[in-house]
Parts: sequence; C-alpha cells; structure tokens
Amino acid sequence: MYNLLNWILWLPVIGMIGICFIQKEKKDMIRYAALLTTFLTFGLTILLYLNFDNSVGGIQKSFSVTVPWIPQFNIYYRLGIDGISLPMTLLTGLLFFLCILSSWTVEKSVKAFFALLLMLESAVFGVFFALDFFLFYVYWEVMLLPMFFLIGVWGGENKEYAAVKFFLYTFFGSLLMLVGIIALYYAAGKGDNAFNILALSGGRWSDLSISLFGTEWAFDKLFFWLMFIGFAIKVPVFPFHTWLPHAHVQAPTAVSVILAGVLLKMGTYGFLRIAYPIFPQASVYYADFVALLGLINVLYGAFCAMAQTDVKRLIAYSSISHMGFVMMGLSAMTPQGMNGAVLQMFNHGTSTAMMFLLVGILYERSHHRWIIRPDGSKGFGGIASHLPKFTLIFIIGMFASLGLPGLSGFISEALIFLGIFEKYTAFTVMAALGLLIGAAYLLWMYKRMFFGEVNPDIKGYKDMNKREIFYMLPLCVAVIFFGIFPAPLLNIMKASVGQLVTLLDR
Amino acid sequence: MEYTIFTILPIFLLPFLAFVLGSFIVKRSEKLAMAISTVSIFVSFLFSAKIFSDFIFSQFSKDYYIHKYFNWFDLSSQGLEFSVDLGIYIDNMAAVMLLMVTGVATLIHVFSIWYMADDKKYGKFFVYLSLFTSAMIGLVLSDNLLSLFIFWEIMGFCSYSLIGFYHEKEKAGEASLKAFMTTRVGDVIFLLGIVAIWGVIGTVNYVDIYSAIANGVFEGKMVLGISLATFAGFCIFAGTVGKSAQFPLQVWLPDAMMGPTPCSALIHAATMVAAGVYLSLRMYPLMELGGITPFIACVGGLTAFGAATIALVQTDLKAVLAYSTISQLGYMVLGVGVGAYNAAFMHLITHAIFKACLFLSAGSVIHSLHDHQTHDHVQEMPRMGGLKTKLPLTFLAMMACTLAISGVPLFSGFVSKDRILGDALYMAMTNKVYWVAYLLGALGAGLTAFYMFRMMFLTFFGAPRDEDVYKHCHKESLKWNRNVPLLLLSIFTLGIFFSGSPSGQGIVKFGGEKYEWFKVLMVKPIPKNFTTYSKEKLSTQDNRDKILWPKSSYESHDYGLNEEDEHRLHTAHIISAIASVVIASIGILIAFLMYIRQSFSSERIISRAAKFYKILVNKYYMDHFYIKIVIRRGLLKFNRLLANFDLGIYDRYAIDGWEHISRYCYRIADFFDRYAVDKIGVDGFGFVIKDVLNKGLRFLLAGKVQFYFIVLFLVLAFYMFRISTA
Repeated sequence: MYNLLNWILWLPVIGMIGICFIQKEKKDMIRYAALLTTFLTFGLTILLYLNFDNSVGGIQKSFSVTVPWIPQFNIYYRLGIDGISLPMTLLTGLLFFLCILSSWTVEKSVKAFFALLLMLESAVFGVFFALDFFLFYVYWEVMLLPMFFLIGVWGGENKEYAAVKFFLYTFFGSLLMLVGIIALYYAAGKGDNAFNILALSGGRWSDLSISLFGTEWAFDKLFFWLMFIGFAIKVPVFPFHTWLPHAHVQAPTAVSVILAGVLLKMGTYGFLRIAYPIFPQASVYYADFVALLGLINVLYGAFCAMAQTDVKRLIAYSSISHMGFVMMGLSAMTPQGMNGAVLQMFNHGTSTAMMFLLVGILYERSHHRWIIRPDGSKGFGGIASHLPKFTLIFIIGMFASLGLPGLSGFISEALIFLGIFEKYTAFTVMAALGLLIGAAYLLWMYKRMFFGEVNPDIKGYKDMNKREIFYMLPLCVAVIFFGIFPAPLLNIMKASVGQLVTLLDR
Repeated sequence: MEYTIFTILPIFLLPFLAFVLGSFIVKRSEKLAMAISTVSIFVSFLFSAKIFSDFIFSQFSKDYYIHKYFNWFDLSSQGLEFSVDLGIYIDNMAAVMLLMVTGVATLIHVFSIWYMADDKKYGKFFVYLSLFTSAMIGLVLSDNLLSLFIFWEIMGFCSYSLIGFYHEKEKAGEASLKAFMTTRVGDVIFLLGIVAIWGVIGTVNYVDIYSAIANGVFEGKMVLGISLATFAGFCIFAGTVGKSAQFPLQVWLPDAMMGPTPCSALIHAATMVAAGVYLSLRMYPLMELGGITPFIACVGGLTAFGAATIALVQTDLKAVLAYSTISQLGYMVLGVGVGAYNAAFMHLITHAIFKACLFLSAGSVIHSLHDHQTHDHVQEMPRMGGLKTKLPLTFLAMMACTLAISGVPLFSGFVSKDRILGDALYMAMTNKVYWVAYLLGALGAGLTAFYMFRMMFLTFFGAPRDEDVYKHCHKESLKWNRNVPLLLLSIFTLGIFFSGSPSGQGIVKFGGEKYEWFKVLMVKPIPKNFTTYSKEKLSTQDNRDKILWPKSSYESHDYGLNEEDEHRLHTAHIISAIASVVIASIGILIAFLMYIRQSFSSERIISRAAKFYKILVNKYYMDHFYIKIVIRRGLLKFNRLLANFDLGIYDRYAIDGWEHISRYCYRIADFFDRYAVDKIGVDGFGFVIKDVLNKGLRFLLAGKVQFYFIVLFLVLAFYMFRISTA
C-alpha cells in the first residue's frame, strides 16, 4: 500500500503503539522514539510537497485513496490532498516535530504524554486529508480526546476547568456539524456518494428547502449556519471564543503550540473544504456577516490582548485577532483575499508557534508568566541585557507576528486587505486599527519584559541551550524565508484557491 | 554605459549582505563586522557615484531612466489574473538620492568607528546600520509603493532597534516604543492608501500610477464617499506625516535621540525621516489630482513654525537639533504643498548633508565631555560653553552647517529653503490659503536662525559654565575617522554645489543652465508623458535602445507659465529672498545680543512670559495629551473594560452560566425523579424496579452537559429528517 497520505496518517499511530511497548522508566527512549516518528512524518510531508503538482487545482488524483469502510452506510475511507491542505500538512508535520523537541523537559508520565501527542498528530492529519464527511467527523472528534487529556493532565493550575471547557465548546460545535452531515446524507439520497465531500460540493443544495417547526427554511442557508458554528468555535470566531484564553493559558507549551498553530486552522480549513464548497450560494449570501464577525475578531482580540498581564493569555488573544484576518480574507471571495487567508493560516501557524515556544522557554525558567504581577511589580525586566539569544529570537517572532514587512505576516495581511478593500472598504479601514493595536500590545509587552534594569529575579536564568535554539531555528528560517519569498507557498495553493473562488463567483 | 543587474543591484545587495554576514560573525569578531559594514557601504557608494555621474553629467541626462522589474509572486489561475511585480526605477531624483544616501552613510559609518569604539556592542550597532542602509537604498530603488512600503517598515524596525540600543535604560524602551507606534499610525494609513490604489487600478507602480492619472482612470472612482485620488493621496501623505515627523505625529522624533548619535545623524536626520518627503514627491501628481496640496502646505508650515518655537527653549544639544530637524522637514513638506518640487527635493538633499554634519558635530562635542560623578556624557548646553578653542575643527564644521541651516546667503540652506519660501509666496499671491503656509514658514526661518546661533553661542562661545567638564575635555586634533567626515560634509554646505546662483534667487548668477543642474534635472513628473509606456524585465543583459523613454521635458520657463506669471514668480522670489535674509539676520542678531553681548538676559524674558515658556517646555502638551489622555485614559481603560467584560462577564455568565442552568435542570429532574416517579410511581412497583430506574435516571441526569447536548441534537436531528424525508 504505497501511498504517501496513508503513511503520513498512520506513521504517528505506529509510533504511538511502539511507545506503548517501551517501559515507562526509559524516558529518553520514549522521547527519541517520538522524535524519530515525527521527524519521519515531517520528512514524508516534505516528500509529499516535492511530488505535488502545483499547476493542478483541486484534489490531486495521484495521492487519492478510496477504500470502503462501512459499506452499509456508504462510508468510505477517502483521503486526498489539494493546494489548501498541503500547506497545513507541512505546517502540522513541522510543528509536531518541533513540539516533541520542546517537550523534552516534560517529566510527568512521559509515556502517556508522547503517545497522546502522536495520536493527536495522526488525528490532525486525518482532518486535513479526509474527503469523506463521516471520516472527517471521526477525526475531528478523535482529536478532542488527546487534547482533553493533554490539557487536563499536563496543564497549569486550573487545568481541569480549561480542559472541560475546551471539550464542551468544541463538542457542541461538532454536534451541530453532525446534524449537518446527517442532513446532507439524507438530502443526497443516502447513495454511494452521500458522504463524499467532493460529490456534495458545487452548490447543489440551493433550491432545496426544508420545513421545520412549521416554517419553510432554505436548506443551504440553515445548514450553512450549523456548519458555520461548528467551525467558528474552532477558529474561534467572536461569540464562541472564550475557551481559547483558558485552554492556551492552562495547556503545556507543546499543546499551546499545536492548538494555536494547527488546531485553530482546522476551523478555517473547514470553511474552505466544507462550508464554502458545499454551500457556495449561502456562503456568498452571508459573506457580509462573516466579514463583520472577522472584523469584530480582529478588533476585539486586539483590544483584549492589550489589557492582559499574562504573556500567554496576551498571545492567545492575539491569535483571536489574527484569525479574524483570516475570516475577513475568506469572506472576500477574491483570489487575493482567499490566497491571503490561506497564507495567513500558514504564517500565523509559524509565528504564533514561535511566540508560544518562546514563552514556554521562559516559563521553564521563571515558572510564572506575569508581565506585571497582580501586585503591580514587574514580572520580568531587563531580559534583553541578560538573555541576548533569547531576545534575538523573540524579536524575530514578535515582529513576524505583528506583520513587519520582510517577515511572513505582512504579505498575507496585505493580500487580505487587498482582497477585501473593494467589497468592504469601511471594514478594511477599521481592520487597519487592528494592525496598529497589534503592534502596540506586542511592543508594549516587549518593552515591559525586555527593557530596563535586569530584574533580580531573572538573574539566575540561563540563556537558550542548544536544543532550544535548534527547534527555534526552523521557524525563524520559515518566517524570514516566506516573508521574502512567499511565492513557493502561494504557488502550491493558488490553483486550488482559484478553483474555489470561481465556484463562489458563479 | 549599459545597466544590468550587476551594476545596479550591488548598491542594495552589498549593505544587505554585510548585514547578513555581520549578524553571523558579530559574536566572533565585532571588529570584522564593523569593517565589513563600512567597506560594503563604501563600495556601494562607488556604484552609486557611477550612476549619478551617468545621470547628471553624461550624455543621457534629461530623459533617461532605468526601469526593470521581476515577478515576486503570481496568483493567476482559473482566468483570474493577479501578479505582483517588484522592480527598480532610477531617474534623476533616485540617482541624486542614491548618491546622498550612500555618501552620507559612508561618512557616518566612518565617524561611528570613532564614536562607538568604547561601546561594548559596537559590532551590533554596525549590523543594524547595514540593515538600515540597505533598506534605505532599497526604498530609493523601488519602482512601486509596495516594495517602498516594505523597506519603509524595515527602516522603522531599524530605527526602533537603534533607539532602544541601550536597552538597559528604561527610557530607551519608552522612546523606541513611542517612535515605532507613532510612525506606525501613519504607516497603517499609508498601507490603506496603497491598498486603495492597488485594488482600484490594479498596480502600485509609480509609472503605472502616473499613466493612470493621465488616462483618467482615477476619475469618478470613489472610496467611502470621497474621490479615490483624495483618499489615496491623503493616506499616502499620512505615511509622510508619520515618518517625517509632521504635525500631529511629530512627538516621536525628539525622543528618538535616545539612540547613539551617529544613528540619529543617519536615520533621524539625513535619510529615514526624509524618506517621507521623498514619498510625497514621488506621489506628487496624485496629491495634486486629489487636491490636497493646500492641506499639505499648511501641515508643513505649521510643523516648521511649531517645532522651531519648541527648539527655542531646549537645553539639550541633541534636542535642539531634533526639533530643528522636524522644523526643516516641515519646510520640505511645505515645498511639496506649494508645488516647489525641485526646491523641496533640493532642501531634502542640502538638509541631509548639513543636518548629518550637525549631528555628528554634536556627537563629537558630547563624546568629548564627561561628567565624572555619573560617568555619563554631557549633553546639556548650560554645562558647556567656551569649547571653541578645545574643539576647533568640530566648531568649524558646526558653524558652516549653522550658517547653512539659518539661511545665510552663499550656503546651501539658503538656496533651497528660500526657493521653497519664494514659491510659497507666489502661491500665496494666487491663493489665500497659502498665506498661512508662507507666513509660518518665513517666521520659522527667523526662529531657526535664532535657536541655531543660540546653540552655537551656548556651546562654543563665552566662558565655560561647568569648569570640571571643561577641564577634562581633551584638545581635539585632526583624526581621519572623527573630523574628516565632519569637514567633508561641511564643504558641501556651500550653495555653489547646488546652484549657479549662490543667492539662490537668480539675483546673482554664474553660468547658464549647466550650473542650475538641480533645477534643470529635477522636474515634476508630468503624467501625460507616461501614457504609453512598457516595462522591461530584469535581466543580466540590456538593450539600451529599448529603455530610452521620454521621462519629462524641461521647459525653459520654470513651470511652463506665461510671461506675466513668470514675472510674478520672479518678483515673489526676490521679495521672499530679501525678507528671509532680513528675518534671519534679525534672528542671529538677537541671539548675538542675548548670549554674547548679554544686552538682555534670557531669564528675564522667561520670567516675563512664564506661561508661554511653560507651554513651550511642555511641547504644547501634545505628549501629555497623547500619553495621558488618549492612551492611558482612553485606550487602556477601554481595553481593561473589554478584557474584564470578556472573561469576567461574558465568559462567566453567558458561557459558564449554562452550567448553572443545567444544574437547575438536574435538580428539577432529580426532584421529579425522587418524588413523582420514585415515591408515587415506583414505590408502587416495589423495591427492585425502584432501584434500577432511580439509578438509571440519576446516571442520565447527572448534570453532564455534553450528554444533554447529545440528546438534544440527536432528537433534533431525528425530527428534522423525519420531516425532510417525509
């Protein structure tokens, strides 16, 4: 069964099973096993990239897999990849590899921790590869399980609360999605392709209506909203965002990185793969509203971030703000906006992962994350004088995150702005305020933590060690490289995105 | 001479590679990083000089430009076309700018070798300097607003890093944050302007924008109820306001003096802040089309005058220079506003030279003075005085620059500033709005002369006011890396290099057109010349015939005016020149009387106008307004409120509140279960059944939220599909 997608999908599971057989005292062996697995997986994603045909839009035939799974209900094991999922795949492969390295210092039930991380990786790949709606849903749910335990067991002081909250929120969303899936299954006549995402796409549902509670509802508009809420919780879009600050703050570093770097993108990926192609008319119809929610995300996240005194929570809110740009780009329905949105998904993945990893590195030394302690004193101060290497990498990550031209965040934000300007001029002007505040909270945080006299508390901290530098370097290279040469990434996605845009344009 | 990528790109790439290389080796050898940085910028200067001489002196002077592009990325697919090209565009203006940037940068690098020698982190300083210089060169070479913006922001980053260079000082952190955020306000609006043009006309190439203007593409296009040209022009001008520290975003520049002095000279005086003006000049046709030039002129005039008044009361040597920079930038913007295209650009160049020199001289002074209690350098003018004999060469250079900036005839500042004021006066004669701009500008010129000479007198003349500091100042001898840059720069403060008419106004004239090279070669871009035009791909080979396009045509009349207006213009220039000389002399005279003759003391004036003095010392309370009121009381309060609402109210009640609701449901169910079912119904059936049912129900209703969701939605789904399939 020589198929790259299968290998990428199942290799982490093989690794996980392997780890289960290692004695739990052999911590280093477990770590190396996990590292090897993720490294190989990352290698395979690179191989996937090398074999990928940029010129073709849509799902690439050469990688597709279709195997019957539960034939009674026409459920298939269908995998495939296109230009939208490939960047996410690369990002996932890279981030998991780096996260294993960053989790080297985890000492609490090492075996379970790495096994769960690998399980999570497989589930994430599953979401990005699945082309069968049922399979998609299964992976979407499977992903919750390791997340729940990773936050609930290895998290911070308030971990149970955060884990349950994360679980319930996401579960609520996925149930709405499930209703949608079942509805589509029935609407498609329960036939051979009733769970096939590709077959369901294309806007077949706009004429259908459904009577519910005595009134007639447009089928596509109703179910667009169910899907929308399901994915919006994951992004998270404004009224459904409050799980994020809790989950991020409580989660261990690696999980925060995965959460912000990959899992949030699954929400927007859901729009691109499912909500938009299946209900294009409804997506266009509600685009204004989605753009408005995106704008609220941008501003709300930025304003809230400005008031935070906990570094991790600040970055969590900045994620909300940055994902708002993605939402705005998605609602543009222009090649610039859509490509910008997908690019922003990737770029936010790298830059925010950097920020979380750096905060994690700092946390390992300080065991607190206060910019300003509740009593008003500084939590840090003078880091720039004391930890030069850390400072340098922090500057790169921070400026990538605030969208400095020349680093990766800028070009995606500029494309999104360009994409939405004509359609939502007023929104664009207001979103520009988000760019401004975005710089303000990060630099203000930087000023309070890094400038000034060296705080006596931080005198004992050691600068980054070789392992830490090693796992930060790929991300530094990525944010700089894709800031200067966005073309390699854009070339992957443009054909597939173009196809989606033409579908929405019709 | 043909231009290929091998002759143009090194100008940009050499400093950039020096930055890359330097950032890797700076830990091993600071000296090597420094050497690489300095040598690379010098070689880059040689390349620029070649281009400059080709453009200005040689055969193709007037109508030659180089324009090449490459594709950055391309999003075209499915018939939707969109690609982004970046490129190089060199015309006369860019050629002069290149020479100025690389030249001044080279001298500042050389000076920094002396200035930073004692600093522990001097290698790092040079690395930043290299990045900055390459970004500035990139900005000048850019052929479009997008890459200009990219380099613009990278310069902002360098400025941020260099202001915060001494990061152990709390104040440096504040200053760098303030600088970045204040300019960012302008930059974000600028980005909107770029996006507006890009979105509507599909390109942000300068030349494409000119041709779009000529072809009437902008006509009838509206953005948010105002015309596109006005919107875009305003947004782009906002970029200038931020970067060039114009009112109301001027507050960052004085604080930016926290950085090392050579970086103040390069970034915050000669190049980066002038980039804002350069942008306005590049986009001049758009500003004109949008009809915002009177606005620009007034902003410029206000800044020129307002900053000059604040400079009157500063006691810090660098602060005086910082305010004078803001004020001079105001003149350039004023020049843009009144359409004095070549005069504004000339002032940009002359100012870059004399202000860089002033800052370096100030650095030379400051570096020589020590306070032995605090081990810090002395920057306060009240502690200086009488340094003329100790630092003769610095004095010489600084005096030349002071004469230039004050507008003394024969010096460069006079030529350029008075051309701007002359044009402003001419515009005022035709349109009353410009009177504001002219009068503010003219008064500001008098103030400039006064505060600059005040600075000179306080620093170099009279008796030393702090004996201890004076005693420890070593006598200066000629040093290649300290004084040579100063003296070289001060030579170029002579007006003769820029104009055949040392008085500037054509009252006295040498030679003909040839000596008026600046006026002849820097001409406003005329959009109609760009209507037919094609780009050339960047390659290693070039065909010169193909890239010879008419750039602009110089008319023998300055502005293509008729004879009557020409006469009026000439008159305006003469009047304004005479007025300026008189005003400047009054300013110098007052300074002389106050600080040398001490005919009347400054203290008495201060005590007489105490209120006014207080306003000036507090910089018109603008910092106070921004920081205390807008940010602390407004923004931060609002943010805290929102954050508390988010987690304290919304999350706690609207989200976690569901938990309580489900608890109540559980209690009701439990009550029902216990009394209705259990006691009445079940007890009747006996013990076994009761236990089973009770436990079962309790399990089901144990307040598990997810379970409710499942039930709720399964039921919902079930009903829906029964209905839909029916």
